Amino acid sequence: MDRFPLGLIVLIVVSLLIFFGIAQRALDRMRLSDKGALAVILALIVGSFINIPVPGTPVPLEINVGGALVPVGLAVYLLVKAGTGKEVSRALIASALTAAVIWFIGSRLMTGLPEPAGRFGFLDTLYLFPIVAAVIAYIAGRSRRSAFIGATLGVLMADIANYFYLVRNNATNALKSIGGAGAFDSIVISGILAILLADLIGETRERLQGGPTSEGKPDALLAGLRKPQFGRKKGDDNPRGDGDKESRRELAREEVDRLED
Amino acid sequence: MKTKQFFVILSLLMMFTGIGIIGYLGLSETVLPAWNPASVLSNEDADHIVGKAIDIVDAKGSVISRACRGVAVGDEIINSKGDHYRVIKVDQNRAVAKSLGKDKQFLAWHEFFTDERLAMAAANRKGGTVGIYHTHSDEAYVPSDGSESIPFKGGIYDVGRSLVSRLQQKSDTRVVYDQTPHDPHDNAAYQRSRRTAMKLMKQNPVAIIDVHRDGIPDASYYRATVSDNKVSQLRLVVGRQNPNMEANKDFARRMMAYANKVHPTIVKEIFMAKGNYNQDLMPTAILIEAGTHTNTKGEAERGVALFADAIPTVLGIEGGPQTRNVPGGGITQPGATGTGGWRAVGWILGLTLLLGGGFLFISTGSLKGVGDRLAGFGKEFTNYLGPVTRIRQRAKKPAGDTKVMKKASDNMADRAVIDHRDDVTED
Repeated sequence: MDRFPLGLIVLIVVSLLIFFGIAQRALDRMRLSDKGALAVILALIVGSFINIPVPGTPVPLEINVGGALVPVGLAVYLLVKAGTGKEVSRALIASALTAAVIWFIGSRLMTGLPEPAGRFGFLDTLYLFPIVAAVIAYIAGRSRRSAFIGATLGVLMADIANYFYLVRNNATNALKSIGGAGAFDSIVISGILAILLADLIGETRERLQGGPTSEGKPDALLAGLRKPQFGRKKGDDNPRGDGDKESRRELAREEVDRLED
Repeated sequence: MKTKQFFVILSLLMMFTGIGIIGYLGLSETVLPAWNPASVLSNEDADHIVGKAIDIVDAKGSVISRACRGVAVGDEIINSKGDHYRVIKVDQNRAVAKSLGKDKQFLAWHEFFTDERLAMAAANRKGGTVGIYHTHSDEAYVPSDGSESIPFKGGIYDVGRSLVSRLQQKSDTRVVYDQTPHDPHDNAAYQRSRRTAMKLMKQNPVAIIDVHRDGIPDASYYRATVSDNKVSQLRLVVGRQNPNMEANKDFARRMMAYANKVHPTIVKEIFMAKGNYNQDLMPTAILIEAGTHTNTKGEAERGVALFADAIPTVLGIEGGPQTRNVPGGGITQPGATGTGGWRAVGWILGLTLLLGGGFLFISTGSLKGVGDRLAGFGKEFTNYLGPVTRIRQRAKKPAGDTKVMKKASDNMADRAVIDHRDDVTED
């Protein structure tokens, strides 16, 4: 008897392709090039198979490379690359809030005898965490990157809190794994879904207000948004007196990078 | 311009195809995607009484099933006779379910496992791995353990061990039993047990089983005499918040059909509830509720042991029915599913097309924008196919006509805007 008939093989292949395809498109927006995003995906997959035990802990603890180190590393990279202190603090506050809220909903509200999910078990935590992270990040900074950082670090902090719970209750038979499900861990899935949700919230809101507003926005940002003028005389639309369109756009982008959060 | 029109039509087709596939699957087979935000406010008390249960009744008022507070509109039940119900209304202590008739696929599996096929089952042995774990590792049985919850070492471990030892005694099944606790007892436990499930999956199992006990106060609901044993019956739970749900549901049907042939009524019903329960990781992942907290642990242990007798054959670990006439007909063989795998593929593709198309539409605000973005989509890959496209571009000679040139430069400007849209607007 075939254990994995054609239907299931197609199912597994299609869902993997779609998951990693969407993940690549989402990570693409995290200050990564297309190839960089692809490299992160590969790191997630390969890293899924590597568990690093942390020695000398009261309750055994292990950290997965693909499920924890890679996404957290990416979050830290984004924080380091953040233009302003404001952006960093907003992202960190959003992370802390996310951690608190998912702990409150996941462990305080959705608990108790009812099986299989506890009372208020209306939505699986796999989907609940990214929704919380995206909403909080959007309110805090209207930012996809902040949504990713908030979701990744938020779930990580909830995990660390759970580790302290295990230590406090002396659960020596436990083995705490952080990110152990690798590329399918809730840390990774939360991060990616949060980017997409923040994107969806942002785009929808912008569309509802009738397109992006230009009033009161910094000149450099507007210059970056303007359609490049091909065939127009050089220097026409050029605040820096530098004719080359590539370097002009590069300058505008740098300005924009500095200003956006 | 023609290519643009083509892409506009393509994006619309994508959305319609998505709606079509989902509509077809949804209407023909009765699955509701699972979230009803209002239920949080209306159906649940914050201070609910522990162990209070909801009776699920049919239109005539007779009790079909009994579940903890957590029943939601859209939950479905297939009982051991194959009757299919869907919850349409939830009151304080009562839920009303609508009959959807007999579940044809379950009946097909029921027919499929005939006596001759069961006799053949012992014939050829193949061996295979089954992973077992407990998401709620504190669950315990009040009459035997003295409490409904013993953190980190609930009585549920004894039930798990009973399942494991019976599997090993009676078949060539290799069992990987992961005893990692995932306390505290809450919904986030599934997020923690996801790591354990994944660890089990690295051992290449044929199926993974998450063993729980229920929380309804009425012990007699599960208590029964099956094959001359006093046992507590089992309930199989399938999560609805899972794009692969159809495949898991098919697996549950097969489990119930076969287990009930071996030991009639050992599986009481299949319950399709809100949640994911990490069943998206594998089409053959299942959650079982071995009795409830008011049953004795002995009843639960004997119950899962009887259930264990059915597992090797259903998973193809041990001989079993060798046929090609799959229920529901089709290309697939009955290894792990009938048509559930294909239906799940349909769901995933349908959702992706619908959401992808819809998102394109929102983010660009017009059909033209959708076309533009899709037209720019191919450009994303020039990054990887750099040399190929460069050679191709070199092959194309630019035309000399000034009108054509102007048009070309306009097009180029459009393209540039599309290409760099993300660079300047990304946030």
